[in-house]
Amino acid sequence: MYKYVFRRILLAVPVLLIASLIVFGLMRVMPGDALTALMAESGNMGEKELAKLKHDLQLDRPYHEQYLLWLWQLVSLRPGDSIFTGEPIATSLAKAIPVTLELTVLAMILGLVIAIPIGVLSATRKDTPSDYMGRVVAVSGLSLPDFWLGTLVITFAAIWFQWIPAIGYVSFWESPWRNLQQFLLPAAVLGFRLSAATMRMTRSTVLEVLREDYVRTAWAKGLGGRIVVYKHALKNALIPVVTIVGGQLGVLLAGTVVVETIFALPGMGRLTVEAIIFRDYPVVQTNVMLVAATLVALNLLVDLTYAWLDPRIRYR
Amino acid sequence: MPFHRPGSRASLPSRRRFLGQAALGAATLASARGWATAAAAPYPDWIAASPKPPKRGGTLTRATAWDPPLLDPRYTQSVGLFQFAGLTSNRLVRHVFPDEASGAGDLSLKGDLAESWQPSKDFRTWTFKLRQGVKWQNVPPLNGRELTSADVKYCFEQYAKEGVQAINFREIEGMETPDTHTLRVHLSGSNVLFPQSLAEPIAIIFSKEVLEEDGDLKKRLIGTGPFILKEHTRKVRVVLARNPDYFDTGRPYVDEYIILSTPDAATRLAAFRTGQSDFIWLASPGEVATVTKTNPNAVVQSYHNTLTPFGIALAQDKPPFNDVRVRRAISLAIDRQQQVETIFEGHGILGWGVPYIYYQDTPPTAAQMGPYWQHKPAEAKKLLADAGHPNGFSTTLFYYEYFPQMTSQVQLVQQDLKRHLNIEVKITKLDYTTYYGRYVEGKWDGMSWGFQSGHAVGLDERTFQYMHSKSTKNFFRVNDPMIDELTVKLRQTSERAEQRNITRKIVERELDQVLRMWMPYSNGFLVFQPHMRNGAAPALRRTDAYGSPTVARVWLDK
Amino acid sequence: MNGERVAGGAGVSAVTSPVAAIAEVPVVGRIDGARALGLALRRRPLGAVSAMLLVILVLTAIFADVLAPYDPLETRPEIRLAPPSWQHLFGTDDIGRDVFSRVVHGTRISLWVGLLAVGIGTVAGMIIGLACGYWEGRLDLSLQRVMDAVQAIPGLVLALAIVSVLTPNTTNAMLAIAVVIIPGNSRIVRGAVLSAKQNRYVEAAEALGCRHASIIVRHILPNVTAPILVIASIWLGNAILIEATLSFLGLGTQPPTPSWGLMLSSTGRAFMEQAPWLAIFPGLAISLAVLAFNLFGDTLRDAWDPKLRQR
Repeated sequence: MYKYVFRRILLAVPVLLIASLIVFGLMRVMPGDALTALMAESGNMGEKELAKLKHDLQLDRPYHEQYLLWLWQLVSLRPGDSIFTGEPIATSLAKAIPVTLELTVLAMILGLVIAIPIGVLSATRKDTPSDYMGRVVAVSGLSLPDFWLGTLVITFAAIWFQWIPAIGYVSFWESPWRNLQQFLLPAAVLGFRLSAATMRMTRSTVLEVLREDYVRTAWAKGLGGRIVVYKHALKNALIPVVTIVGGQLGVLLAGTVVVETIFALPGMGRLTVEAIIFRDYPVVQTNVMLVAATLVALNLLVDLTYAWLDPRIRYR
Repeated sequence: MPFHRPGSRASLPSRRRFLGQAALGAATLASARGWATAAAAPYPDWIAASPKPPKRGGTLTRATAWDPPLLDPRYTQSVGLFQFAGLTSNRLVRHVFPDEASGAGDLSLKGDLAESWQPSKDFRTWTFKLRQGVKWQNVPPLNGRELTSADVKYCFEQYAKEGVQAINFREIEGMETPDTHTLRVHLSGSNVLFPQSLAEPIAIIFSKEVLEEDGDLKKRLIGTGPFILKEHTRKVRVVLARNPDYFDTGRPYVDEYIILSTPDAATRLAAFRTGQSDFIWLASPGEVATVTKTNPNAVVQSYHNTLTPFGIALAQDKPPFNDVRVRRAISLAIDRQQQVETIFEGHGILGWGVPYIYYQDTPPTAAQMGPYWQHKPAEAKKLLADAGHPNGFSTTLFYYEYFPQMTSQVQLVQQDLKRHLNIEVKITKLDYTTYYGRYVEGKWDGMSWGFQSGHAVGLDERTFQYMHSKSTKNFFRVNDPMIDELTVKLRQTSERAEQRNITRKIVERELDQVLRMWMPYSNGFLVFQPHMRNGAAPALRRTDAYGSPTVARVWLDK
Repeated sequence: MNGERVAGGAGVSAVTSPVAAIAEVPVVGRIDGARALGLALRRRPLGAVSAMLLVILVLTAIFADVLAPYDPLETRPEIRLAPPSWQHLFGTDDIGRDVFSRVVHGTRISLWVGLLAVGIGTVAGMIIGLACGYWEGRLDLSLQRVMDAVQAIPGLVLALAIVSVLTPNTTNAMLAIAVVIIPGNSRIVRGAVLSAKQNRYVEAAEALGCRHASIIVRHILPNVTAPILVIASIWLGNAILIEATLSFLGLGTQPPTPSWGLMLSSTGRAFMEQAPWLAIFPGLAISLAVLAFNLFGDTLRDAWDPKLRQR
């Protein structure tokens, strides 16, 4: 067990190094740079000023030096400042991470609340109208682009109910009620989308488990259908669901930019995508590496959970 | 369209119209409408100040598209910063506020920190008398100490030293402070427009103490203005609290002004509808109509058009665009009037790049724009054939979408050129940084949907700086000896009638040679909640953008 | 099941567990597969409906020129924002183009984006997965680390960066989507190859000294086709959504090309109250296509998963 975990952590090192190279490389070959973005509209920055700024930000060093410098900053946990805003990256992250985490957790919960009952229902009543209904509803969550769903929700909330969540993020500790109001709609939009995949996974695993001998035995013993499903089948069916939920967590960590934009939440997605647009190299690089490291850790965690839930799985 | 776009939809800020202002009453300007805007929706150009006595108190809020990239006015001219920097800080000179103005076109100057100003005979030395008893905000490290002429001198010196305003402040050769409230500025050449430069929204006075303590101005913005910057949380909100010690006693009227970062347009609209935002900028009469349907009491100001910041820039230093016949043919093939009537729903102008107020009293009509600014496809075809391209050619066009209508314009132009001249245009929509990187570098081929920067509309900026072949801002790659000669001459001319005359010549030459192919444009609309008073924006600066100082006079009637 | 894990991402990035030991891949023979699919389609109405929708989509794409009553690029600003009528079934857009013709031609763009992106992603993923699974050892170890690295970068960020580097257009958006797809696919193929290698006939073929290429083509490839097809069908739907999201972020298909995503995210959103038909029809097209690909993918899996097939 420990040996396995150790091996996995060891394998993660080259993965993260390669990822860092990819991100660093992509950012450098992108046309334009942060300085043009900053100066753009004024258009009257002299060559000399630009050179000085470049030097101050160490952008005039050769690429390999910049890369090593950045790696060192990452390893020593001092990611430096944003080129564009001058804000320390650690500060920006400290503000953005709680937003994204809250959004993610709420979306997960809402997604599961929708997905698992429908999934179970769909499986136990396979090929009946309620199965089809459930599946179509769930899959339709997949089929709406979330920028569209988000726009519809906010516009029609304003027109029909003269209400939208208060703009201007408030943290949960400041005002829990207001904070929840702000997060409920965006989390529902995300959750609706997530529920599709989870629901289908639940359905197919429950279907499989229902055919297992022990479930048939339970059934034969005369236990009620509901008890069989919930007590025996569901527990085992949840194993692969854990995998998918783990995967979704990863997606959410950086993939909420659209919802953050529409609902005006200052999370990781907006931070990262805006940094890409403004070529804020250190911010993009640090954010991506943070998410990458989290994903790698998460995958390990998922695998361990998996093994814990299903003792048949052995570590190799 | 989710991003913070600094300067996007920036208002076209202003410099005071200085030519023929005596002859041209502001009321005339406000009511003067070019025919291009004749079909516009029935919203007034100007909302007069409320006759009622102002009420104190309340919180003004607005959902904004822009986030300040940083607080340092030396390093950015972004509308993200100047949507509130004009409230925390003052300038020496300012434009009139809505409750002082006679109409949208009234752009006369008033003293802000300066009480009065006097030029020398040759307009090379300017003497400013500062207002007595102006205090810095009562926040450490300034703690409400009095403002002196040395503060202003220091600030101008810093601007000249580095950053994006350096070019403007370098015309200052030296400064003296004969006493604590007098500042004498010596310029390297005569400049009749110097006070106008200092009234630009970006020329705010920052404090010496903050710069010296922090080494930069990225973290704190402390000034002498009507509001104290209480909170700035990136991508969330900017909170401005009333400065109780403001020199203009009794003002501002509202206790707090909260600006909420809201990157998506649909959300800003929803915020206005639900009362979370007190005012909003909208692009078209159609959009205004959808809002007044749900909010029938909203007050609408149709924003006056004085120039367009956008036009097609051609790589006119290379074939085929170095041939004036090709440029004229393209201009003739584009149906601008159709764009005004359809895309801008009647509320737009055909497009010109020098504010008309510098050379004539009313907006130019299509006829005044000359023979190459009409829509005459047959003539265009003939000109292009004469230039040796009877079967057209292929080219490229790149742009950055400042507002959704621009994409529609680009596509209409593409269709016009294809239909009438058989010119194939391949369109590329770029992200903000790529666009500016490529556009400003000036080495691109083909066409670009070009721009001139929005924050300042000074005459020198609009002529010499944008059109002289040696200027760093010559993004349209103009290289015309006559323009070079005229723009230099204009800089040296102090006589107003003569300035007006030269400006007209420059514009005529520009239009005749199609040096910059201006495209239709609309300034859109400002929509206010019914309880908001005195928020109307004068012609060149929007209350929600570079015209933010207006908020010092806004009050809430509820 | 693996299909679920990949498609599970729903968004741009699909993250799967790197533990191949858990990967469980349905293995079916060639002839068997087709028959099973036929059976599934007959038995499952949702599957049949989705298959029919797909056929309609493909036919629309092929015959777009015939079906569209107008040139999708022709602008007639004088009739802008006209509501749906007999002349213009889906109304006209902000510069007077026929929305119906644009949606019909958009089918071509969307299917093309989907097919090419998923095609490249699948083929590249297959080659890498086959190489890794077949030879194992050092090659496997290093290639899999690269795949892990690509997968660890948030998909949207990766796609945005790639499109920015290559300049935004439909082709580059497809390439970016393909890159995002590759790692997941390679992992699944690798898992399938590993399990196929356990089969006696592969061992026998190796023992008989058959060439690698022939072993791969004859014995291993057929076995990984099923899972790959299942995943591909689901990814096809995702690719359309990603293209739409890239358009929303301003980096997708370029105007005036009629892409559903571009229509919905630009004019559709801008005029959603003044001219809702600009959003409704492209939006509906996206939803139907994604729905069809997903349900069809489900059907494929149901049909080809040996365990489920018993029932």
